Amino acid sequence: MNIHYYPGCTLKEKTTNLDDSTREAMAVLGYELVEPANWTCCGAEYPLSEQKISGLTAPARILRQVHSEGGGQVVTTCAFCFNVLKRTNVDIKRNPLKNKQINAFLKDDIKIDPNTKTKTTGFPPYNGEVDVLHLLEFLRDEVGFHTIRAGLKRDLSGLKVAPYYGCRMLRPGGGIGIDSPDSPVIFEEFLESLGCRVVDFPFKQECCGSYLAVSRPAAATEASYQVLRSAIINGADAIALSCPLCYYNLDRRQDRIKDAHAGFSGFPVFFFTQLLAWALGVAEDVLGLDQHYYNPKSVLHNQPKTEVAQ
Amino acid sequence: MMGNGKKKKIGIFVCHCGVNIASVVDVERVAKELDGYTDVELSTDYVYMCSEPGQKMILEQIQERGLDGVIIAACSPTLHEKTFQNVAELAGLNPYMVEIANIREQNSWVHTDKEKATDKAVKIVKSMVEKLRGNEHLEPIKVGITRRAMVVGGGVAGLQAALDIADHGYEVVLVEKEPSIGGHMVQLSETFPTLDCSQCIMTPKMVEVSRHPNIKVLTYHEVESISGFVGNFKVRIKKKPKFVDEDLCKLCGDCADVCPQVVPDEFNMGLSFRKAIYLPFPQAIPGAYTLDIDSCLGLLPVRCGKCKDVCDARAIDYDMKEEIIEEEVGAVVLATGYDLYSMQALGEFGGERYEDVINGLEFERILSASGPTGGEVRRPSDGKIPKNIVFIQCCGSRDPELHNSYCSKICCMYTAKHAMLYKHRVHDGNATVFYIDVRAGGKAFDEFYQRTVDEDDVLYMRGKVSKVYKEGDILKVRGVDTLTGKLVEMEADMVVLAMSMVHADGSGELMKKLKVGTDKDGWLAEAHPKLRPVESLNAGFFLAGCAHGPKDIPDTVAQASAAAAKVGDLFARHELLHEPTIVPVIEELCSGCGICISMCPYGARSLDLTKHVVKVNEVLCEGCGACAAACPCGAAQQKNQTDEQIFSMVKAILKG
Amino acid sequence: MKISIKIGADEKKFIDRVSELSGKNVYSCYQCGRCSAGCPFAFDMDILPNQIIRLVQMGLAEEALSCEAINVCASCFTCQSRCPKGIDIASVAEALRQLRDPQEKDFFGPDDVPRELADELPQQALVALFRKLSK
Repeated sequence: MNIHYYPGCTLKEKTTNLDDSTREAMAVLGYELVEPANWTCCGAEYPLSEQKISGLTAPARILRQVHSEGGGQVVTTCAFCFNVLKRTNVDIKRNPLKNKQINAFLKDDIKIDPNTKTKTTGFPPYNGEVDVLHLLEFLRDEVGFHTIRAGLKRDLSGLKVAPYYGCRMLRPGGGIGIDSPDSPVIFEEFLESLGCRVVDFPFKQECCGSYLAVSRPAAATEASYQVLRSAIINGADAIALSCPLCYYNLDRRQDRIKDAHAGFSGFPVFFFTQLLAWALGVAEDVLGLDQHYYNPKSVLHNQPKTEVAQ
Repeated sequence: MMGNGKKKKIGIFVCHCGVNIASVVDVERVAKELDGYTDVELSTDYVYMCSEPGQKMILEQIQERGLDGVIIAACSPTLHEKTFQNVAELAGLNPYMVEIANIREQNSWVHTDKEKATDKAVKIVKSMVEKLRGNEHLEPIKVGITRRAMVVGGGVAGLQAALDIADHGYEVVLVEKEPSIGGHMVQLSETFPTLDCSQCIMTPKMVEVSRHPNIKVLTYHEVESISGFVGNFKVRIKKKPKFVDEDLCKLCGDCADVCPQVVPDEFNMGLSFRKAIYLPFPQAIPGAYTLDIDSCLGLLPVRCGKCKDVCDARAIDYDMKEEIIEEEVGAVVLATGYDLYSMQALGEFGGERYEDVINGLEFERILSASGPTGGEVRRPSDGKIPKNIVFIQCCGSRDPELHNSYCSKICCMYTAKHAMLYKHRVHDGNATVFYIDVRAGGKAFDEFYQRTVDEDDVLYMRGKVSKVYKEGDILKVRGVDTLTGKLVEMEADMVVLAMSMVHADGSGELMKKLKVGTDKDGWLAEAHPKLRPVESLNAGFFLAGCAHGPKDIPDTVAQASAAAAKVGDLFARHELLHEPTIVPVIEELCSGCGICISMCPYGARSLDLTKHVVKVNEVLCEGCGACAAACPCGAAQQKNQTDEQIFSMVKAILKG
Repeated sequence: MKISIKIGADEKKFIDRVSELSGKNVYSCYQCGRCSAGCPFAFDMDILPNQIIRLVQMGLAEEALSCEAINVCASCFTCQSRCPKGIDIASVAEALRQLRDPQEKDFFGPDDVPRELADELPQQALVALFRKLSK
């Protein structure tokens, strides 16, 4: 079955391991991920001002494209892309003024026929017809966690994993985030379906440092360290997460964390799709584990058993 | 048929209400334009119709001119209709020949254009003339009174109300859903601002209630349903089986000793355990054990039967069944109390996740000499004495976005008391309170709060907490002190959350059964926020204590006494007068379809099976008119508000 | 440490403009401080999030627009998810950034990106940051 999938820029460049593991895992589950034609950057940051409408046009175009290709839903893994697409879609659905303003921009887009090179304009309005889903939602509601459980090929029952939500999967609430901002369960349920032991830790919803990694690296390092430390002292073997920027801060920048905190010696961080792909029997080289700062390979292999008897 | 074809003599009195009406409505023009309108004998204006001279003028004009109807164009009828009806009665005019044309709330207060407002006022008054022309003389319906009251809830509010009513000389049925009376107050340690031992002042009241010859105490009972009307209610009450004969039980406790089932003890807020057969607390009234069937292994002797075997008094009876009993009462006092907002709703504070994050009532039990720690401050997880304790106020209160919008009123005071009592017991301990505002408005309240700060060195931190989490053995509290503008992180051995008060669990369903109105938060709604604070809008129901909204003990007791006084006031009357503006049935027009029966919120209408038409219980009918609007045959016509009157009013308005 | 307070037409206009752009009623904040208590980056700010709102409430445009805190906010929405009055301070910060910017100055632009990181930073971090802080 084909489903629309919006990878976003980072997955195409810096975190191909997230993209590859997602595709392979979904293929095992029987889904082929199709990207909407000519997709662009979503803008990464939802414009919070009521009067910055232009920032909503890029995500709206992506959604309109999915709609025009007959897609009823689009799935993402990047928490930033998810947040921007979802909020834009909700604006279009709930806010008549923004709907009008966005569609006024979109109407005048020019479409060039690739064969005849003729230009047309006057697009029909987009009214929020496409459902924006985070892959975890899709796995829970469309695939079903029980289906994942039934298809497990590798045993993860010895692995204690701390699910890290970060910000943009959950907040803001009120119909945007994928679960309760204060007591979410979806990530925990997902990890349980993989057979992992779930470790609850109080920093699972705290910010990793986000793009302050660029402008205020020391502050971001401190935030990342607090998250990792909390997972460690609560007994986790690894962290699972979904967002490429969280991954950057929590894994790729462990060099800085080590500099700032002498006691810190590194910690394995997975994309949730890497764990999914692994559990479903996908070959290890597809997971891109060697792209990580802290190669988490060993915690996968130090499982009590690696292959479930077929 | 309008006005029975006879010419009426109607007087119109237009009120200025100072500038309230006159600044927007040209009252003189209104009076002038009505002069000469159909059946109008007199039309005049005056600065305050409700004043003595105003009333006198109306009275004299009725008598001198022989008016047979008057219209007062003034404020809403909810305010002065009674005043002017009395004037009419004094002048010898049937009070139902008085109509109020509301030209203040429905006109001058909501408009600014004087010209248009005056035109509208003229139309309003004209429409009332049309209504009045069709009015008939009515007499109030007289009803007898059952001089016996029911009090629902056996906390301090219910006990006080029951005692006062009983002392007035009337019988009281006191219904309590728990096995003992006493409510939350008997769970408390010491009470602010005097630090009286709560049990010491509460248990004498409990004993007095149980010994009072006029009070019948029904514990482990719940109100099922109510029918009837003010002065004449029939109540169905469910008696839950205790499986122990209260008269035979000698309180030896042998049954609990042998009982194998251990469950959390509600009286101690789950901080200790009880058996399935138990006495809620030593001073419980009635003093008898109760077998909690939900926790029991099962009543069949093959399952267990140990308690019955060991009871020498033969008080245990496994054959007791749930029963429904009926009581007839004339008034009901609702004193169903409160519960605390669930700690789970504030997951970020770790309540229900960490054993040492507890709510205020749990801390009351820890402080209480009769509590699980004998009054020593020890934390639930490991019994250690907490050296650092943090109190967080406004947990779920004053939070319209996520929780409850209201202030729970007592938390500032009881938190001050908690911190003070903690310091009295743990001299070398540190107590910190996170607060937004300290609201200590009550007699000797602020002095009490100041004492907590001045003498007991409690540190008040102005700001909220964002998160409580555990690291090893220690709770970490992250908050802010907005006075210094600094983030605060501190370690605590124990955290006490001042959870918001909410209406008692289950009271929502009860009030639905009783058809008693509640506000948006589920508290009982009073008839008027200023002038009728202890009455429900539903006649015959009175409010006492926290069922009506968060309150401290003195306010609760005062309101309970006020409710009892209102009950006494009702019972002191010879008979009750019911408004005659009801909706009878014109039997010739009624098809017996029964639509009106389903519309009636008061159960006043039923089908007469022999005549196959609807009949009306006049005293139950509140004259809301829902049936009249729904009746497809025009058989339901409200007295002095018939379809014909309404149409003529509409015509008068549309005519311009 | 003394400030003089005057709520005149200009101040009123500033407060209303912040409310309008952010879509949040800044008057309704009662300064409980929950936003600051939960803000993961308050430790790195010159003033606390609740103080940003306070400055706006007092009509102190200059102070509010020149604070560093509005550059630190990472839009993690922790404050928004906890605020008892439904104020989203990230949006208020965005409104202030929009209002302070008549000359279109870069508060953090491409030239400010550390060279050694430029290659490995995720695109989303750069795009999002520039959206917030550059012209």
